[in-house]
Amino acid sequence: MAKGTAEKIRKKAIGLMCGLLIVGFGAAAMSLVHWQLINGEELSAKAMEQSLRSTGLPAMRGTIYDATGTKVLAQSASVWTVVLEPHYLAEDDNLRRKVANGLSEILGLDAAELYERTGEVGSYYDVIARKVETEVRDRITQFMNDNKIGNGIRLIADYKRYYPYGTVASNILGFTGDDSQGLEGLELYYEEELSGSAGRLIAAKNAFGTDMPFEYEQIVEAENGYNLVLTIDETVQSVLEKYLKEGIEKFWIKNGAVAVMMDVDTGGILGLATYPYYDPNDPFTILDQNLLEQVESVPEGDERIEVKREAMSVQWRNKAVSDLYYPGSVYKMCVGSMGIEEGLITEDSQYTCTGGEKLQGVKDPIHCWNHDGHGTTTFREGLCNSCNPWFMHIGRELGPDLFCRYREAFGLADKTGIDLPGEGRSILHSVDNMGEVELVVEAFGQNFSITPIQMITASAAVANGGYLVRPHVVDRIVDEDGNIVRNADCSYRRQVISEDTSATICDILRQNVASGTARGGYVSGYRICGKTGTSEKVDKHNEDLLEDPNAKMTYIASYCGFAPAEDPRYALLVFFDEPDASSNGGYTAGNAIAGPIFSAIMQELLPYLGVEVMYDEDEYNEHRDTAAPNVVGMTIREAVAAIREAGLEYDIEGNGDDEEGWDEYKITEQIPEGGATVPQEGKVVMFTTGYNVNEVMVEVPDFFQMDLINASYEAHINDLQITVNGNRDGDTRVMMQGIPAGEKVKKGTVITLTFASNLSTDTSVTIAE
Amino acid sequence: MPAGAVRGRAAQRAGGVTRRVDSTARGLRRVPGNRPPEERREPERRRRRRKKHYKLISLGEGLDMPLLVFIMVLLAIGLVMLFSASYAESYYREDNSYFYIVRQGEFALFGVAAMLFISTIDYHYYHRGRTTLWVAVGTVLLLVLTLLIGSSEGEATRWLELGPVRLQPSEVAKFAIILLFADFVSRWEKEMDTFRRGVMPFALVLVLFAGLVMAEHHLSGTLIIGLLGFMMMFVGGTKFRWLAMGALGAALVVYLYMNRGGEGSEAYQMGRIEVWLNPFEENDATWQTRQSLYAIGSGGLFGVGLGQSRQKYMYLPKPQNDFIFAIVCEELGLVGALVIMILFALLVWRGVHISLNAKDTFGKMLGLGLTFQIGLQAALNICVVTNTVPNTGISLPFFSYGGTALLMLLGEMGILLNISRSANVEKT
Repeated sequence: MAKGTAEKIRKKAIGLMCGLLIVGFGAAAMSLVHWQLINGEELSAKAMEQSLRSTGLPAMRGTIYDATGTKVLAQSASVWTVVLEPHYLAEDDNLRRKVANGLSEILGLDAAELYERTGEVGSYYDVIARKVETEVRDRITQFMNDNKIGNGIRLIADYKRYYPYGTVASNILGFTGDDSQGLEGLELYYEEELSGSAGRLIAAKNAFGTDMPFEYEQIVEAENGYNLVLTIDETVQSVLEKYLKEGIEKFWIKNGAVAVMMDVDTGGILGLATYPYYDPNDPFTILDQNLLEQVESVPEGDERIEVKREAMSVQWRNKAVSDLYYPGSVYKMCVGSMGIEEGLITEDSQYTCTGGEKLQGVKDPIHCWNHDGHGTTTFREGLCNSCNPWFMHIGRELGPDLFCRYREAFGLADKTGIDLPGEGRSILHSVDNMGEVELVVEAFGQNFSITPIQMITASAAVANGGYLVRPHVVDRIVDEDGNIVRNADCSYRRQVISEDTSATICDILRQNVASGTARGGYVSGYRICGKTGTSEKVDKHNEDLLEDPNAKMTYIASYCGFAPAEDPRYALLVFFDEPDASSNGGYTAGNAIAGPIFSAIMQELLPYLGVEVMYDEDEYNEHRDTAAPNVVGMTIREAVAAIREAGLEYDIEGNGDDEEGWDEYKITEQIPEGGATVPQEGKVVMFTTGYNVNEVMVEVPDFFQMDLINASYEAHINDLQITVNGNRDGDTRVMMQGIPAGEKVKKGTVITLTFASNLSTDTSVTIAE
Repeated sequence: MPAGAVRGRAAQRAGGVTRRVDSTARGLRRVPGNRPPEERREPERRRRRRKKHYKLISLGEGLDMPLLVFIMVLLAIGLVMLFSASYAESYYREDNSYFYIVRQGEFALFGVAAMLFISTIDYHYYHRGRTTLWVAVGTVLLLVLTLLIGSSEGEATRWLELGPVRLQPSEVAKFAIILLFADFVSRWEKEMDTFRRGVMPFALVLVLFAGLVMAEHHLSGTLIIGLLGFMMMFVGGTKFRWLAMGALGAALVVYLYMNRGGEGSEAYQMGRIEVWLNPFEENDATWQTRQSLYAIGSGGLFGVGLGQSRQKYMYLPKPQNDFIFAIVCEELGLVGALVIMILFALLVWRGVHISLNAKDTFGKMLGLGLTFQIGLQAALNICVVTNTVPNTGISLPFFSYGGTALLMLLGEMGILLNISRSANVEKT
């Protein structure tokens, strides 16, 4: 080996080594410094970001209680979302089949499709079923345990909304969507309060999305939503809905109806029933027959979908809050208050009605409903007659400025601020556009549009001494532990009229119910103030006339009143949109249609609300109703003695109907129940053991349009009993019955019949635009 | 048996010397005034010659201890890091956290044994007769076989499966190049400046090997073979201008290769350049590089701690393979990474030191080739992981998972150790 070669090799090798180490490692080291020290934090943050997954922890939506605080109107319950993680299944064909078959059996899904979906390599999240009940979840868990399936199926907690009372108060409650977000009604209006705030679970995950064995885990607990306690009382609400439905059917109402009951002192809404309604558990099904027919009359396709969408929005709409109407003669209670408050009239002021007045610029004269005229009457008589010229006179006396100021004071120019979504904005003539015609026509309630909720708020002001309240349906918001978060604002906004004026109008309205044009709303045993309204849908009529010159006027029949008259506490507004007079036997007027329903509702609810019965002498003679003694648990002999002592008859069903077993058998049930009202000379049906259920059940007949004698006879032959409500002078007939026709009840059941006459007071007021 | 032969010869020589100067294997026991003056002229040479006995059973004898220590330390760190880096991958994909480390550990144990055994085989054996020729022919056969029946992984066909053994013939080719070139240089060391001897044989072998590896679409293999060849020619004495011309030609070939018409491959190779330039663009191609940089960045100065990497949890694909150094950076930080780089540098330094002390040119060239191979792979791998150069797919010696590769590496270290042993035992 030559020394020269070795030396050359040494030099070159050392040079090469130094070059390699300096260039190669040097560059790498510089890169490391660059990435680790200079950009380290940024890269580290990015790495962290991609590995931290946050999972939503759903918050439980608040519960909605009725006014009693015990009845649950809306509630959330745990449900589960079933998610496939196909990645863990895809490679094992047997497993895929097993999972697909198992889940398809439990969830009722297509097995072939599920099999297909389990084959997605790289997919870790495929939702196959939402809102699955706990019971189904248990079956899936069982299935997974039985087949030792660890990964591949995940169950994620969620909540589902339930409405235990079904359709009751649907238009108030609203409903929620797939993500539990409020879509209508209170669910929408109180979304923020109800929804609470979802929690988050932040955890480090590997790129598969499963947990990493790191301690980094942070939980932000979900905060459950607040509960709502409503002013709505489920009992009141159900009664309103029951009679509203009956009215709709009896009077062939074409365009829906509203019944609102309000506490006049606080503005709390006790019940707000609208028609059509829906079931919030299943809001996409159309329940109203008319709407359904409309939808089905359209051929299938896009058009039908559009029509169905509209129909759904109609049934979801809260007619009492969103829809506008002419208040009609009901508004006269406000106009009368204005006149008295301003001292322009007293209850004894006089004015002469000639049956109509010719105004400048209007072709036809504006008629009173009584074309012959009421002659010279006092204001008290005028209001009881619902005389249009009298109120045109008051309007003229007030003048546009004052009239508009009062109108505003009664809250008709602004939204009431009720805590329901979609409140309509009233349409009024502004003071500048208010000529004489507009003024006098508005003075008897025509040609301006307000919402039913505005009307009842204004009437509550008339009733409660002049104070304008804030209508609301939520009494208080409470947290999970029952602490009150917020109370409803029950203060009044302003005083519109004085207490004296209020008292005067109330007295006139009481007389109106007792002997005026509002007798349809008479409630036996109670002092009621009431005013009828029959609004002409003039604008709609004008449209109809363009299409058909012979088109008939359509009406809204309404009745607004409050009770008890001596100290009004509850106001009730009932209105029916477009009764079909040609089908229902000629009923269009507020007194005939809305009156009896008002009466029936009040008759059923005032005792429930704790308003005491006060008969006057005449009534007392007619209504010597007694309370049935409680005989359940007694032997037959004891029971018979007790019933005889109460001056009632008896019937025995079951064992012991002959006297032999009277000491042996005991009463297990009685109709009417102990303490319930039994008509004069009525009877108590007692049940012992061993009766035949089918034999003691009877079908309730249809009493509609019967007079008292026929109704009594009909009840008698059906082994039923009746009590009489409403106005019984002249030719009044049954308008409402407490238990709908066709229902099966036990023998001896007492049915309340509400009588009224078909008195059309408000019609024939034709206004040319 | 070469070992026996060496032993016999060494013993014979040592015996002769012992008789003459009265020394023992432990060193000279000098008797003052009893030494002939002419022997004092070369005390160094004599002492060295007589210092060591060479025995098969005394494994440690003559071994370069620093080199062995560097190898064992790197191997130990490498295994620990492999366990850490492969943990998640084994756990989630193989359902057994120890899947990779157990296999690699077995190969490491076997490899260390093989290394120590090979360190006792006189490296001259590889130089003798037709050994080099057979190695060359065998390698070419393996490479051709790979092209014919090799198994593909993605774009490249670089694996040969022989029963249970999975072999990368390009690894063999690297060793063959080193062996052949060391042989060539030592054979024609006087004529290295001529074209006929200094360039032709080298170029032929290089073009043949590199061409075959390139045909496997194994770019990194080609690159390393080419670089190794050039380095050995440079050290061996080939004229610089030939090397420059060769480099130019190679660059041209690579350029043509990457721009050649056709789908897949060229897009694949060009894609690597794209990824290199824009590693943070969010797409599938940048995923590995991006995740690697996230891992490195997360490490900071001192790292997140051994075993604490997040990126190995399926974010960085196959963290036990080429990108294991990214996990090292994440867990041990800049400090840990630098320590490992320094260990590699020390290994290279020691390897060069040993090679240059070899008694003949063949030993020098063989040792340098093996040392440079490790240095080159380590530097390139770390540069790839840190996105300093485009991704080529080079494994990190002692760290990356791969049983046969580790076995070969340790075997090669055995040869290097034998060179040190030979140099220490006997200088000719």
